[in-house]
Amino acid sequence: MTEPEASESTGMRGQMTHPDTDVLAEFRAGLITGRRGARIATHLAGCGRCTALDEQLAGVRSLLASVPAPAMPDSVARRLDMVLAAEVAQRNAAQGSHAAREAVPGDRAERADGDGARESPAPRRPGGNRGFRLLALRVLAPVAAVVVLAAGGYGLSRINLGSSTGSSASTSAGSAERAAAPTAAASAKAGGSVNAPSAGPTKGAVSRPQGITAAGITVVTGPANLTRGGLAQQVRAQLAVPPSARTTRAATSAERGCVLKLIGVNRLELVESVRFEDSPATLIVARTGPRDMAWVAAPDCSATHRHVLDTTSLPSGISGP
Amino acid sequence: MPDEGSPADHELLRRHVAGDAEAFGELFRRHRDRLWAVALRTLCDPEEAADALQDAMVSAFRRAGDFRGESAVTTWLHRIVVNASLDRLRRRAARPALSTGDEQAFEALVAQDGDPARASDTRLDVDAALQLLAPPQRAALVLVDMLGFSVADAAAILDTSPGTVKSRCARARARLLPHLVHLQGNRSASESVSPAQGGDTP
Repeated sequence: MTEPEASESTGMRGQMTHPDTDVLAEFRAGLITGRRGARIATHLAGCGRCTALDEQLAGVRSLLASVPAPAMPDSVARRLDMVLAAEVAQRNAAQGSHAAREAVPGDRAERADGDGARESPAPRRPGGNRGFRLLALRVLAPVAAVVVLAAGGYGLSRINLGSSTGSSASTSAGSAERAAAPTAAASAKAGGSVNAPSAGPTKGAVSRPQGITAAGITVVTGPANLTRGGLAQQVRAQLAVPPSARTTRAATSAERGCVLKLIGVNRLELVESVRFEDSPATLIVARTGPRDMAWVAAPDCSATHRHVLDTTSLPSGISGP
Repeated sequence: MPDEGSPADHELLRRHVAGDAEAFGELFRRHRDRLWAVALRTLCDPEEAADALQDAMVSAFRRAGDFRGESAVTTWLHRIVVNASLDRLRRRAARPALSTGDEQAFEALVAQDGDPARASDTRLDVDAALQLLAPPQRAALVLVDMLGFSVADAAAILDTSPGTVKSRCARARARLLPHLVHLQGNRSASESVSPAQGGDTP
């Protein structure tokens, strides 16, 4: 706090000079009491200028109260739903594979003066694990619904639920798909070469979204080394690589955060671990209306740090459904 | 607010901790518009607000077991959102920002809209003026004056004393006064602005 005393010091003949707006506001908020408060009250009673100011301060409050709260945009709501679905699936998987739930790091503020038992984690019922299994089945439906939303009109069979082929965080939901993943990996040739035919939207070369899945995002790994010049053409070539010729792995949490930050609500087409101008980078392609948007993200790009090395856009026909 | 017959907040949180896959979603959706408003008004940037809300949601989801029930669930949720927002502002502080209270930046912000009819719109002016405030002041003002929280609840959310909340609000109002006084005369008119008239900018 500054020292408001100076501005309201008693002037000649005991007449107080006009208090600062700050001081009036604090008085209005009940923060100035006692003799100081009494002085201000007396001054207000006899000063039209300060009374007007005081009324304006009250007006600020009612003006602020009159501004309607913004509703959450649909795009943000969808994104949060997607992230939440991923969290649920992740927790489900963890609960399915570990009998006991790990303790989560404490929230100091909540713990400090906690009244203890009332809201403590639920006691484990005997045989509780069976409940989790049932839960795992039950959750698939809502998660799938969100995935469809994210991936657009593609059939569920195209969507790689789980996706954690090479990661320790494998999910129970992903177990069904895991059988299929090695096949794709085994049949991978020079997946992701820039020299792949940049064919038009012919059936065989149609790219499928890599699927924002319940557990995360699948990253295509490939030897492509993209360059600044003619980036759009190179991205087209990457999109033209058939899914069967791609090697994939689960996205890291940083990659996932980066992707979600960049694509917003747009439909994810491709995430590929590439090189850009001979340095590691991540190529991210999303359907943004009539065109696809491609970003080349730096390795340190994350949910909290938007670090894009280059971008381009291209007609979405190449990867269209 | 929950309808008759729908589970209370703390019941949803309890179910979530017990393993219910849908309870947290229901709880979060119930409050997300208000949580969004807090994040957006505190950060003054939709993209950052979405990021902060996402961080907060994930954090609340994972740490729900630590909730001890000495505050309302909404207070707990709002606290996590406010903290995520203020964290972001702190990280952003290194970069040039409007939060330092640059009057020229304020004018530029109002002017950038171009359309004079729009620029005089109450919400835009208020949004721009809010950026003049230091983040802790802004957070307090948003909670108390804009979202109608009691001083006590705002203090719990901000993890500070009621006196500090009152003081921050008072100073924030004084700071905003010169920038908002022109709106007071036509407030009754601006209150009735319909979204079609440009009151709604997505």
